Amino acid sequence: MGREARATLIYEDVTTEVNPAQEEAGQLWITTTDLERATRFEVKPQGVCRDQLCFPLPKARTQEFVRKDSGKSWFNMTAFAQLVQQPVAHDAALATWYFGLRADQRQGLASLEAPDFSLPDMDGKMHSLSALRGKKVLLVTWASW
Amino acid sequence: MIYEKLKDKNFEIVSVAKDTNGVKDAGQWITAAKPTYTELIDEKHLVSKLYNMVNVPTGVWINEQGKIVRPNEVAFADDRFKNFTGLDSAPYLTALSDWVEKGDKSVYEMNEEKLHEKLSVNNPEIILAAAEFGLGEQLYKNGHLTEAIPHFKEAQRLNPKSWNYKRQAYALSDAKRDYGTTFAEEVEKSGGSKVYYAPPDLPGENKPTQNKPEGKKPPQN
Repeated sequence: MGREARATLIYEDVTTEVNPAQEEAGQLWITTTDLERATRFEVKPQGVCRDQLCFPLPKARTQEFVRKDSGKSWFNMTAFAQLVQQPVAHDAALATWYFGLRADQRQGLASLEAPDFSLPDMDGKMHSLSALRGKKVLLVTWASW
Repeated sequence: MIYEKLKDKNFEIVSVAKDTNGVKDAGQWITAAKPTYTELIDEKHLVSKLYNMVNVPTGVWINEQGKIVRPNEVAFADDRFKNFTGLDSAPYLTALSDWVEKGDKSVYEMNEEKLHEKLSVNNPEIILAAAEFGLGEQLYKNGHLTEAIPHFKEAQRLNPKSWNYKRQAYALSDAKRDYGTTFAEEVEKSGGSKVYYAPPDLPGENKPTQNKPEGKKPPQN
């Protein structure tokens, strides 16, 4: 792997500065330490996991996802995104990578379950949709524009 | 206000403002409306992303079990924007009241096929469009409007049905300069105001024919 650079990674709408490896265009390799910082996912023997969520890596293709180099362990974010069917948008000039909703985050909609979210009110107090389970809800969106 | 009539019937309204600039842009409208129901701020357009919404105002009915029973259609919870849209909220609110009373016995719940269609589940271009829009928003917020524009345009190209992607991007820019168009021109191109504010598809309802979107427009900041 080449020398380190800076990049901005946006995962689940959380922004983290990371030090990626210089790699082939269109690929983002970051250290497993940065992976944990940016996504809370960890590489474990059973796969890439966070809490109860675990994505096994295809055994024959482990090299595409994880490598050891210069005493560090590296993880291929873009290959992983493809594996979990997650859209990626990239701005090369600003070295910024945006990761969208994974397939598991879109599943609810397909089964007609209302996707849950937590958002602040005007005073910054958080409210989540799931807290209203047991009631009928009209969810309505609008905008000033 | 419909909420006052229905709130004692195990019913809640959750109203979400999708505004990249958050309270700065949406706040004055909320303050003016003095809502008694829950009013939330969605700077990252998360709800649109999760529900594949393409316009405002958009309503979704969710039952006691957390299941979607009627999604993604033009929905006015009150007449806050009536001057602008010319669309009467009454037929929609009558349908809503019926559902709150009768639940799954209401004719206004949609069948599964229609629900899937309205929610545009698993369309890869729509999914990628959301990521391009999200990136554009983040770049804009970090002071990089010029760099954000190509990503907003890509989102608009991938999901041409989304008015959110057009209108929010135009509102952050000089639309004519950066996109070569305006909201009014796009409405005309789409077939005019009656297509733009398509009334909800309610059973047994005569569709209103007099929409007036050229009326008073909300202020731009």
